[in-house]
Amino acid sequence: MSLMHAAHLWWLLVLPLLFWLALPPRPRQQAWTAHLVQWRLAQKALRQKPPRLSGLRFLLLALACLAAVVAHAGPVLAGTPGPTRLVVLLDASASMAARHDGRSAFDVATQAVAQKLAALPDHVEVTVLRCGGDLVRRHGPAARALQDIGRPAGALAVDLEALAAEVAGPNTVAWTLTDGQGQGRLPAAGALLCVGAAGPNAAIVAVRTIDRWPLPGFSAAVDVLWCGPEACTGEVQVTGAVQDTPPLSIELLPRAVQTVPVDLERLAKGGLLGLRLVVAGDVLPDDDVFEVELPPLPAPRIAVLVDAEAGPFADLAAKTLAQEVGGQVVPAAAGAEVGLLLVDGGNVAIAPGRVRSICFGSQFDAQQVPVPWLEPQFADWDRGSPLTAGLDLSELRVHCAFRETLPAGQAFLWAQHAVQGRVPLAVVAGDERHASVHFGFRLQDSNLPFLSAFPQLLRRAFVRCYGAAAKLRVRSPAMAPGEQDLQARAVGVDRPLPPFGTPDRELAAWSLLLGLCALALRAFVP
Amino acid sequence: MKRRTRNLPEVPERFPRAFQNLLHDLLARGPRLPGGKTEHERSKRRVLSQSGTFVGHRRYVRGDDLRRIDWAACARTGELFVKLFEEEERRALTLLLDLSPSLLAGVAPRRLFMLRLAAIIGGLALRHLDGLTVIAPGGGGAAVASFEGPGELDALLAHLDALPVAPASAEAAIGVVLKRGVAGRLHWISDFVDPTSCELPLAALRRRGAAVTGWLPMLAEDRQAPVRGYLRLADLETGAELMVAVDQALAAEMQHQLELLARQQDRLFAQFGYPLRRWPVPAPADLQVASYQQIVQWCSR
Repeated sequence: MSLMHAAHLWWLLVLPLLFWLALPPRPRQQAWTAHLVQWRLAQKALRQKPPRLSGLRFLLLALACLAAVVAHAGPVLAGTPGPTRLVVLLDASASMAARHDGRSAFDVATQAVAQKLAALPDHVEVTVLRCGGDLVRRHGPAARALQDIGRPAGALAVDLEALAAEVAGPNTVAWTLTDGQGQGRLPAAGALLCVGAAGPNAAIVAVRTIDRWPLPGFSAAVDVLWCGPEACTGEVQVTGAVQDTPPLSIELLPRAVQTVPVDLERLAKGGLLGLRLVVAGDVLPDDDVFEVELPPLPAPRIAVLVDAEAGPFADLAAKTLAQEVGGQVVPAAAGAEVGLLLVDGGNVAIAPGRVRSICFGSQFDAQQVPVPWLEPQFADWDRGSPLTAGLDLSELRVHCAFRETLPAGQAFLWAQHAVQGRVPLAVVAGDERHASVHFGFRLQDSNLPFLSAFPQLLRRAFVRCYGAAAKLRVRSPAMAPGEQDLQARAVGVDRPLPPFGTPDRELAAWSLLLGLCALALRAFVP
Repeated sequence: MKRRTRNLPEVPERFPRAFQNLLHDLLARGPRLPGGKTEHERSKRRVLSQSGTFVGHRRYVRGDDLRRIDWAACARTGELFVKLFEEEERRALTLLLDLSPSLLAGVAPRRLFMLRLAAIIGGLALRHLDGLTVIAPGGGGAAVASFEGPGELDALLAHLDALPVAPASAEAAIGVVLKRGVAGRLHWISDFVDPTSCELPLAALRRRGAAVTGWLPMLAEDRQAPVRGYLRLADLETGAELMVAVDQALAAEMQHQLELLARQQDRLFAQFGYPLRRWPVPAPADLQVASYQQIVQWCSR
């Protein structure tokens, strides 16, 4: 036992004072007597006791004082040396989902952790690090309960060997539970538990999609990998929101990435599309599936608004677009619900970015008089924008532009101004859900309708107006590189957890309790 | 209980001139001791001469008077025996004094009045009887002293004044008396604070046929306990101390205990047929004849 504040023992000097205070008062009168026996008999008859120092009472008082002083000095009972912190490095990469004998390696690992943590003393500080996929850290009771530790997924993005070496210390034990997949060497520091076993695995390692929305066509190039001892035959099954498609058979070669092209025709209502690689003997089925949610195909009602000076370009453009996307052109009437508004010139009362529309030189603010900009010099277009990427607009000529018709938004066409430099000629206003595309010139004031890129630009503008509603949503987790070949994992020998140390125990409370007991006992001592 | 070494209380001047005058006055006017008149001639003989009634033999022990050896019995048995005689009380008197420290108790120490009482009784004996033997166990060389004739009154006073304070049990005191032999009536002056310790000695004296008179100079503390106060009482014999907070109840109980003690003392002497004289002592400065006349009257009975 040691004392944290040994200097406080100076308070023991109060003991002589207590002894002095415990002494009975000395009488001022002294008398010699020959009848001491009679005095004693008289006191005994009256059950009186002479005032005197009770040794036992003072002993108990001194004990209580001593206990209080020792408690003040902070007595500590030294614990056994050893680590008091456990960091569990739990490999939760995708390969941990490989099943052997009906149980996945991850289940085996979590069960081993749960059993060990249940038997661990309370003073041991536990931290669980889920390594693989999203890095998850649990500490304290949440770690002991393995709360929300998730399922194995993703790649092992950390070097377990370096992490274990960094975590391990004199007071910290690193306990690594892994299948050894995707690692050059297993951790040399701390305890180690290797789970899982080698086995054949087939996986979809990548899927490249070509979405022709709003057209029903959908293509995918599925990269598959077979990690088995020898070639075998597998098939790619297609299920979900597409027309019925027979399974595509493929001859799988060991450790070779093979691409399976898949051409599909989607259903108009959209939905979940699943691609599954089926190979007999596959121990890791989780990486055999690719799922993507297809948006429903639009069936828009396209309305056209043109001013009196407009040519036939807007009507023709609407008809062409309706034909391409399966919609129809409807007359623009007040109160009618339309999916896309095609406006050429004039003045229209819509909120830019709130209404799916493609506007060519249309004015939104009636109070503001547009100023014609004659013969603006076309400067450039955004070659990275989804609207104009891959299109050739170099021959675009604009005879008259109205810059005041452009709302605030993201520009993708620019003209060169003599004073202001490069100024926008076309912008996209809105957010991911609703957008409108605005050109700062009318169709009849430019040669845009005659450009070969115009139909494509028109369709892209249509898609952009639908925003996120036209995008694919991949539901499958990202493919984890290095998690497929279960034959090439690192192996090692398990190392058990070392015995943990016990913490120092503070005895101040016990010392105070002893003092209180001494005082309580003193109350019963005559 | 602590034992403390303290200086014992001092005894004031025992026999001042006023007391000596009082003593002479008492001896001059006082009545004779019983038997003194009829045996006047015989009282001229030495106290310790071989006289009196032969009562038997006992083995010789070292220190015995060689004149008491019965040589005839020695010739018959080959061992030394001394003859025992029963002294007649009418011709002699023995004073047995208790020198123990317990007699120093009292505001005016009991020892003062013991010595004055011994002086009066001894003076009467010297004046009216053949002789006086003073036995003071614990007195060392002065443990036993003999006096005869009125002329030795001053020597008696000097002897009494020189007696030390010495602890001696009743058994030891009576042992000295029995060994020495009782000459005449034995006047035992003590405080008799432990009556039970006196029981066996008195029984021994009774078996020996001695006539004993107990004298107890009675102090005010023997009759009345202190009423109130926080006292530290110290025992004169052992030095043991006792702290008492005297309240009315304790004072009453102490009064009761003192009465019990007095009753024990009376019963002790009564069961052996001996009288116990309780002499209420006067103030030390009170040297009136009336205050000491009671002693003379008791001695004349």
